[in-house]
Amino acid sequence: MAYKTFPHKSRHASAKPLAQFLRVVDHIHEALSSETPTTKRDIYYKDVALFGSQSVVDRLIDDIAATMDVPRADLFVRASAKGLFCGSSLVMHLHGGDTVRGSDSEGLLIPPSEDIRRFEVDERLSWVLVVEKEAVFQTLCHLQFSRHPALPGPGLLITGKGYPDVATRQLVASLGQNLDSRIPILAVVDADPFGIDILSVYKYGSNNMSHQGDLDTPRLRWAGVMFSELASLGIEKDTLIPITKHDEKKAFSMLKRAHTPKKWRKEIQLMIYTRRKAEIEVLSASQDGHANVQTMTYLPTSAGGIFSVYKGGGSEGTDG
Amino acid sequence: MSLAFLHVTDGAEPHADSIWSVAWTPQDQVFTASADGSLKQWNPTSGQVSHSQPPHSLGIVSMSTDSNGKKVLWNTLEGLTSLWDLDSGEVAGKWESYVRGSEGGEPAWSVSLHPSGSTFAATGGSGNITIHSAESSSFGERKATLPSGRTKFGLCTKYSPDGTRVAMSSETGQIYIFDVAAEKLISTYTSHAMAVRSFAWSPDSQLLVSASEDKRLIMHDVRHSPSGKPGSGAVATLSGHTSWVLCADVSPDGRFVLSGSADKTMRIWDLSTRTSVSTVQDTGEVWSVSWRPKPAQHGSSGEFVSGGEDGVVRWWRSAGASG
Repeated sequence: MAYKTFPHKSRHASAKPLAQFLRVVDHIHEALSSETPTTKRDIYYKDVALFGSQSVVDRLIDDIAATMDVPRADLFVRASAKGLFCGSSLVMHLHGGDTVRGSDSEGLLIPPSEDIRRFEVDERLSWVLVVEKEAVFQTLCHLQFSRHPALPGPGLLITGKGYPDVATRQLVASLGQNLDSRIPILAVVDADPFGIDILSVYKYGSNNMSHQGDLDTPRLRWAGVMFSELASLGIEKDTLIPITKHDEKKAFSMLKRAHTPKKWRKEIQLMIYTRRKAEIEVLSASQDGHANVQTMTYLPTSAGGIFSVYKGGGSEGTDG
Repeated sequence: MSLAFLHVTDGAEPHADSIWSVAWTPQDQVFTASADGSLKQWNPTSGQVSHSQPPHSLGIVSMSTDSNGKKVLWNTLEGLTSLWDLDSGEVAGKWESYVRGSEGGEPAWSVSLHPSGSTFAATGGSGNITIHSAESSSFGERKATLPSGRTKFGLCTKYSPDGTRVAMSSETGQIYIFDVAAEKLISTYTSHAMAVRSFAWSPDSQLLVSASEDKRLIMHDVRHSPSGKPGSGAVATLSGHTSWVLCADVSPDGRFVLSGSADKTMRIWDLSTRTSVSTVQDTGEVWSVSWRPKPAQHGSSGEFVSGGEDGVVRWWRSAGASG
C-alpha cells in the first residue's frame, strides 16, 4: 500500500481529491475525539456533492487505515451493516447490553464485530452455510432451512449479499476460528467467475484489505454450484447463460492468481471454453422459478454429500 | 444398414482434465490436447505416450496438424500459439497472440495449420480470420485479415484439405468460407441459429459438415467451380443427438461422418443415406473425434480415436459392416 501524496503525479487536478481526503480525516478526528463512532454511509451523506459516490469514501477510509497501519474500527468508522444471518443457534451479546438473537425464519443484520462483546453458539450447531445472494438466503430462511429435519442438526445461514463487507467476513472468520473442526463451514455461490471470486474473498481474503488480517476463513469449503456437475443434475445446456466480457476478464484474472486452487481453475476454464455460466437459481429453473425444493434437495447432497463427507472425514483435502 | 464399432483400448495414462482435441495423423500417430495444459503424442497400437510437451498453466483450446502429420500447431486458453516440428522434435515457433500490437485485435482462440504447414489461420473474439506465418523465422507475423463482416466470436477455423479455402464458424451459427489466394469471402451459410462449435471438411474439400449447439449436424455442398458458381449449400440435416454436437470428422473414404456430443455419445452417419448407422456410448461429453486417415481395409468401416470429459483417449474400430 503506497502513501497518499498530494499534489498527485498526474495530469488531473489534485484540489478535489485533497479536499475529499481532508474531509474524511476531519470526520475521523471528530469521531475519535467525541468517542462516537460514525459510519462510512454517514460520512458520504454529509457531503454527497464533494464525494460523488460512496465508493470514494470507502476507498479513502481503507487507504487511511492502511497508511496508518490500523484496523478501520480504530478510526471509529464502522461499516453500515449489510450482511444477514439466520439461525437460532447464534446469539450475539453487544457492548452496551443489547442482544441479537438469531431467528430460524428471518434474517437479521450482522453487527460490526467491534460492537460484539461475545458470541453464544448452541452446542448442537452442526453446520454453517454461506450463500452469495440475498434472494437465495431469504428463500431458505422462509423455508426454515436452518432447522430442516432432512439435515443432521440445526445450522446457520449467512449471506454477504454479494461481495461481503468486513462485518460479514469477520463473523464467518470468527466461526471458522472458534467452531469445532468437525462442523462444516460451506459456501454456495453462482457458477460464474464472480461467484468464485466471492468464495475467494471469504476463504482467502481480499487484496485491498490484506493489511487487516483475521478476515479469512481457510477452512471454508466450496459446496457448489459446480458448473461441471450441472449436466448430472439434469440441467439442460441451453438453459446456461452466455458469459460476458466482464466475466471473461474476471475469469482470466483469477486464473492468473497463484493461490487459485486446481479445482476452481478447472471450473473457471470450463466456463470460458463453453462460454457459459450458471446461477444458483438454475437448480429450480424447471419449476416455478424460485429457489425452493430443488435447491433444498441439492444442498445436502452436493459436493458428494456435504454432511456425509464431513462425517466420513472428507476426501477432497484442503484444496477447495 | 447398421454398423458396430468396438472399443479397442484406452490410453495408458489419463490426462488430469478433459481432452479437448484429438488428431490421428497420416504418420499413424495420435495427438491429444487437454484442459490440463498438456499435449501428448501416442502410439495408437500400444496406447502409450511417446512424447509430450511440458504442460502449460492454462488449457489447450485448439490443435491442428499439417497434411503430412509432421507439424502440430496448438493454442492455449489465453492465446499462446506454438508449433511442434516432429522431425526436429523442437518447438519451432511461439506467438503471443494476446500481446496487442499496432494492429490490435483479439487473442487467438481456434487455430488451423495450412496443409502445407507454411501458414496458419486464427480466429477468436474479433470474429475475423487472420492468416499468419508458420515459418520459425517469422512465426505469428500477420499476413492477411479476412473479415467476416460481423464481430461474433469465431469458435472454429479450418483450412480445406486442398488448401484453397479456409472456413470459420461463429458463436451465433454463421459459417464463412474464404478463398485463400484471393483473400475474399466466397460464401456465408446461416443454416444454424445457435453456435457452431466445430465443423469438418470432407477429404475432397467438397463438403463441409457443421456441428452445432442446436444438436444437429448439417452437410453443406461447398464445391467451388472455376466458373464461380458455388455449391448448393446446406443439403441435409443429421439429427439424433440429444445435446450439443461438439465435434465432427469425415472418414477418409468420404462415406461417413463421425460426431461427438455433450450427450456422451458418438454417432456415425452414412453420408449417402443421411442417417445415423451407429451410436457409441461414452462416459462423459465427447469433445473431439478423429478418423484414422489410412483408408479402411475391405469389409471394415474404419477406425477412430476420441477424447472427452474424463481425459482418457480411446481407440475404436469397426466390427465390419452388416446388412
